[in-house]
Amino acid sequence: MNAGIQPAGYDSIITFLESTLPFSELERQSLVRLARGCLVDFFPAGTRLLRRGITEVDGLYLIQKGAIRLFLEDEGILMDIRTEGASLGALSLFNGEKAAMDAETVEDTFIIKIPRERFFEAVHLNPGIPRFYLKSFADTFLSKAFEEMRCKTLPAHEDHSLHLFSNPVGDLVSREPVSVPFGLSIQAAAKEMIRHNTGSLLFREPSGEICGIITDTDLRKAMALGLDLQAPAETIMTTPVESIDAGAVCFDALLTMMSKNIHHLVVKSNNRLQGIISSHDIMLLQGRSPMSVFREIASRTTIPGLYPLHDSITPVIRTLVQQGAKAGNITRMIAILNDQIMSKLLDLMLRELGPPPVKFCLLLMGSEGRREQTFATDQDNALVTENCGVDFLERAAETYFSAFTERMVAHLINCGFPRCPGDMMASNPQWRGSLDAWKNRVTTWTTAPEPERVLASSVFFDFRGVYGHKDLAENLRLHVTNACAGKDLFLRYLAAECLNSKPPLTFFKNFMVEKDGAHKNTLDIKTRGLLPFMDFARVMALYYGIRETSTLGRLELLHQEGHLSRDLFHEAREAFEFLLHSRLMHQLEQMEQGVPPDNRLDPGTLSALEKRTLREAFGVITPLHGVLREVFRLNMA
Amino acid sequence: MNLPTPKNLLALMGLGQRASSLPALDENNRLCRKLDQTRPLEEYVYTVLDTELTGLSARKEEIVSIGAVRVRGLAIVPGESFSILVRPSIPLPKTSTLIHRITPEAIAEAPPLAEVLPGLIEFCKGTLIVGHHVGLDMSFLNRACKKNHGRPLANPCLDTMRMAMLWREKRTPSHYEQYNLSISYVLTDLAREFELPRFTAHDALGDALQTAYLFIYLAKKIAGNRPLTLRELFRAGQSWRWYM
Repeated sequence: MNAGIQPAGYDSIITFLESTLPFSELERQSLVRLARGCLVDFFPAGTRLLRRGITEVDGLYLIQKGAIRLFLEDEGILMDIRTEGASLGALSLFNGEKAAMDAETVEDTFIIKIPRERFFEAVHLNPGIPRFYLKSFADTFLSKAFEEMRCKTLPAHEDHSLHLFSNPVGDLVSREPVSVPFGLSIQAAAKEMIRHNTGSLLFREPSGEICGIITDTDLRKAMALGLDLQAPAETIMTTPVESIDAGAVCFDALLTMMSKNIHHLVVKSNNRLQGIISSHDIMLLQGRSPMSVFREIASRTTIPGLYPLHDSITPVIRTLVQQGAKAGNITRMIAILNDQIMSKLLDLMLRELGPPPVKFCLLLMGSEGRREQTFATDQDNALVTENCGVDFLERAAETYFSAFTERMVAHLINCGFPRCPGDMMASNPQWRGSLDAWKNRVTTWTTAPEPERVLASSVFFDFRGVYGHKDLAENLRLHVTNACAGKDLFLRYLAAECLNSKPPLTFFKNFMVEKDGAHKNTLDIKTRGLLPFMDFARVMALYYGIRETSTLGRLELLHQEGHLSRDLFHEAREAFEFLLHSRLMHQLEQMEQGVPPDNRLDPGTLSALEKRTLREAFGVITPLHGVLREVFRLNMA
Repeated sequence: MNLPTPKNLLALMGLGQRASSLPALDENNRLCRKLDQTRPLEEYVYTVLDTELTGLSARKEEIVSIGAVRVRGLAIVPGESFSILVRPSIPLPKTSTLIHRITPEAIAEAPPLAEVLPGLIEFCKGTLIVGHHVGLDMSFLNRACKKNHGRPLANPCLDTMRMAMLWREKRTPSHYEQYNLSISYVLTDLAREFELPRFTAHDALGDALQTAYLFIYLAKKIAGNRPLTLRELFRAGQSWRWYM
């Protein structure tokens, strides 16, 4: 009879466990034992799985398909979203405590549940499992510190969803509704919609009464069904048309749409037709998505129109923070939005001033070059032009770009990017030049390093091209990489410079703060905390010929190419993100209080957990310096 | 001339020659007849079952493999499963091999259905049987049960295909749905549509697991947030198949 026996039903569980940490490390035999004891359960979207402090956790939940949201209901904070392959409940199982967080399914979710006894049986036999989860406890610890920081800065702030309850629908209507008389064909209706650039079209009876609506979706359906385009539009029209009073709040509109499963509502005031709103309009009302700022930038047609846009970035950042984005992603987003503003500005300026006599590329340096901008971003920019070799062209270019950059700097100040105190801006002739001129400068810096050149180069070497002919920037980057290779003397200079910034901790691991003056009891988190990481990543990247400019990217590549151990890389990355995050939260708070953002953190305002994490983050600087000493043999000098 | 006795008559008709009563089947049918329909769905024990066949005609064709998994508390228990290849008495047609990839060689050593049946009956004992288009599987199994043990299985059956129809009706959002061109009740299409984890199609155990996922998905979706009793489910899908 055995000849007929086939694979068992838990084979699929084994396959799943084999691709899921930490179980992928187990031997086949252990996997089989474990898989035989598993259960597969299903929870529709919106099912509450765990209640903090109430639910007894009876097993480890592995997500086979779907997603689960972890949150603290009382504080209204989202902690994490876990998806396929992630697990839930290990912490409570090990601690023998009730659920530590609230959990709810976000999507329809299939769970593979390892019952408590089976889990501990496996833990007992395989020490790798507890080690894995203990390691993620360390992560949890870090994320808790992030969390604490987040809720401290945020609670007093209004909830953006409240706009739904305060804005009347009438405010959303931007224009008169487009309506047509009865009897058009489907094609003619589509043409009308294109002509008016609208996504919906109303139909009037001869009496003037509105009797139906067709939308983009209806047209799509007509296409899918292969309807005759000359058929009357009434065949695909939805009727009657749902309407709402202009005085109703947007939340009511949203509810009506959701309950009727429609996307358009006619807005009426005093029984008079005022316009149409779509679900999209309501989404835009929340207006704080990066996409909406993006679209706004793209839609501007005048330079003064760009000035206020920088301010709309703050709410976007708040939204991202609320959604739990990490600092590295947020600063990248800021960089993208700033880049967009800058590109749009230069587009408009070129239209105003006419085309330049030679090709050029605008370079961003320093934090903008590394895509690590927060709010307090000075202008650090430079200009590289094509080698023209013709005397009169060079003079024409100089005249053109001197005027061009003067105006650009002024406009950028209006856009919210303050002037660089060190005058490292393209309006300064020292920061403009042809490709060859730049190459010569770089060669001089690297072959005959002098203190001020070293400083200049450390700002410059993080450059990236943002606007214009980016191949010029690429070409220059290649030169920098080549010029630095083998310039041990210059790089040792840079490396030695890095060692000057000691971690801001006293012998007893207390924070070193300013003793007196205007900034008494504060700590400059940029120069004392972030710079050592940036400097380290830069000098190592130059030494090993890495062309990446962002600090996190450089660390990642250094690790990948084997110049930085795995542990130190992880520590450095997490410490850097934490410091960046601290700085961002500090500045966000200042921006919202109307104070110009700075980098001065008062350790006295931090919680115990934040202090501890900050201390550990600073602590990573010491081993990084150790690497520099070893690589550049600085102890022997 | 001897008139045929009832027993001879059965023999003449080709039925019941080897029929022997099976205690497990009697026990099963007794349990199933006593089944209380008023309990919530999660209180029953289910056997989700699928068969691979030599062809689709219940009169001529035969079973070549059977897969079944247990569902208890509306959770799948993959550790309790039943999976076996069966050697049919007729040659395996190539067309069927092309569908389920079971070759004549693979079943050369496999036991015949009569040998497998007691094990399967034991596995199904007292449970509700769930299948996708379950009537087809049941007609094959019941024919074998009648032939070998004189009576069919009395287990009530739930058809996930009908449950899928019920779920569609329940959530049909607009009148456009009737124009939906992509409606299908094929198991793999449903799995794709509801975004379930996927298994090998046309493998009896794979299909049984796939059906089990579909079953717990639909059972919980149809019930919503309140407990749903078996009777309510039967009523909701009026044309349920019952095999008592």
